[in-house]
Amino acid sequence: MGIESYHLGLLGEDEASEYLLRKGYKIVGRNFRSSQGEIDIIAYNGETLVFIEVKSYSGRSYLTPLGAILKNKKNSIIHAAKYYLYKNKIKNVNCRFDVLAIYRYFNETSEIELIKGAFDAC
Amino acid sequence: MLVKVKSAALFGLNALLIEIEIDSHKGLPGQTIVGLPDAAVKESRERVKSAIINSKFEFPEGYFTINLAPGNIRKEGPLYDLPIAIGILASSSQLAADFEKLLFIGELSLNGEIRPVSGVLPICCSAKGLGIDKIFVPFENREEAALVQDIEIIPLKTLKEAASYLNQEIEIVPHKINIDELFNHDDFEQDFSEVKGQYFAKRGLEIAASGGHNLLLSGSPGSGKTMLARRFPSILPPLSHAEALEVTKLYSITGHLKDKASLITKRPFRSPHHTTSNIGIIGGGRLPKPGEISLSHHGILFFDEFPEFEREVLEVLREPMEDGNVTIARAAGSITYPAEFLFVAAMNPCPCGNYGDQIKSCSCTPQKINKYLEKISGPLLDRIDLHIEVPRLKKEELIDKNPAEPSAIIRKRVIHARNIQKERFNSKLFSLNSRISPKYIRKFCELTADAELFFNNAITQLKMSARVHDRLLKVARTIADLDDSELIEANHIAEAAQFRGFRQ
Repeated sequence: MGIESYHLGLLGEDEASEYLLRKGYKIVGRNFRSSQGEIDIIAYNGETLVFIEVKSYSGRSYLTPLGAILKNKKNSIIHAAKYYLYKNKIKNVNCRFDVLAIYRYFNETSEIELIKGAFDAC
Repeated sequence: MLVKVKSAALFGLNALLIEIEIDSHKGLPGQTIVGLPDAAVKESRERVKSAIINSKFEFPEGYFTINLAPGNIRKEGPLYDLPIAIGILASSSQLAADFEKLLFIGELSLNGEIRPVSGVLPICCSAKGLGIDKIFVPFENREEAALVQDIEIIPLKTLKEAASYLNQEIEIVPHKINIDELFNHDDFEQDFSEVKGQYFAKRGLEIAASGGHNLLLSGSPGSGKTMLARRFPSILPPLSHAEALEVTKLYSITGHLKDKASLITKRPFRSPHHTTSNIGIIGGGRLPKPGEISLSHHGILFFDEFPEFEREVLEVLREPMEDGNVTIARAAGSITYPAEFLFVAAMNPCPCGNYGDQIKSCSCTPQKINKYLEKISGPLLDRIDLHIEVPRLKKEELIDKNPAEPSAIIRKRVIHARNIQKERFNSKLFSLNSRISPKYIRKFCELTADAELFFNNAITQLKMSARVHDRLLKVARTIADLDDSELIEANHIAEAAQFRGFRQ
């Protein structure tokens, strides 16, 4: 990963957190890691526990947010989510996997898209 | 929340009740389908999800276990989409109803429309016995479903409509049809008046139609064998209500029914190509589906270019021809399908087709002819009662402009002969001369004294096998019936013997 895209990612996650807070999400964790994966943001949306993957796109990118979440990435997110539930002894809570996409354009503007329930755990 | 929705699985012509249990619990999102689903059932997960979302419902959060009970029967096909979707909506309280006496079948498209499925009629027929009052069927299957009169049929176009109906927000009128009306039109595109000459062949077809005898047409190319065979349905008596329902069920299973033709009111005419496999002819598959012989139940199975069929294919016909049904056993179970068909075969007398022709000469070597005819085994030929030669038309017959006898008149005679048979056999298991069991053959085929003498001579001179002997008697019986004669007379025997000319 180049330093440029690393910073782009960090910037994106901050922007995403602000966006989610505005949307009424209660953020309970960031950058949670398991042995096999990482979850960018963990938040409660009402009663539902949401695992959020943030994806930033510069104008150069030609992938779409869901297209970028490849099977391996998906599995690593699911693995981390299961570990989070286990570690915090969370049971009987509905969970969801969201993808938050940030599109950056050349003229320094950006656009945010939140895809709720982007994928299932199986 | 646990919800139970009912659906059905087909096993042969019978339907079994399938209970779809849907349980949701909190946790990571996902769905699994258990209960021996095949690939099409597993895929329904994706269709159901899209259909629910695109019908402006919410796909509920949580983990869903979908169980198709009983768990020991393999579930096939996409017909469980609708009950699964209904169950998921009910488990998330988006609709509420009492599912005890309701049955759902239908495939969902991604936009929430309900698509037609096969096998609706047999499911509806069995539903009453399974304690069902109301069946929800795809709109395009409504005609065939409505053939079952004692049950309410609710035709559905979309998932949204289904949910609104169950929530009692809208009314859907149960679909009803008038079965008698369906039987009214009785027209055939092809008529015997179009066939010039060929009086011997036409007489043969009339006898075959009257007594339900199998027949073989043999003649040079272009003499009119196929033309005669195609017009054969027009002289057969119309299907009775019960027969029509039986035939329609078989077509429903194979998915051959189209939207308009809900009930098959005409006798089926099946003409499989000679490259068809034996599985295609008798039926088969993992869960056996009816083949061509069952699709021609109560109708005609026509084999054009008879010797071109694989020998294996011809041999599998032997048992069903005798029994009137076929039992196909597979790992999933053995299923019996009815197959009471009238067998019509057409062939050339030799590979070049001109053997025995009066004008053209045959160019085949005897070995070639033998090889050609070897394909048709003796036992199979024995089962064909009438062997009819269809010669080339003479010049005078060709230019004759008068139309020949129309089908309607021949049909009247056929119906008359069939009525005589029905009266005679009234309480027996069979109703056609060709189906007389060996036990009764002497009882029903009584000969006059000189007919007996004539017949005894024929037996020795024609070197008849026991089966041929019985078959000849049955044909003679039919000829006597056409003649309105109580006993079989010598001329009836003589005419019957004429139709056994092939290779004897």
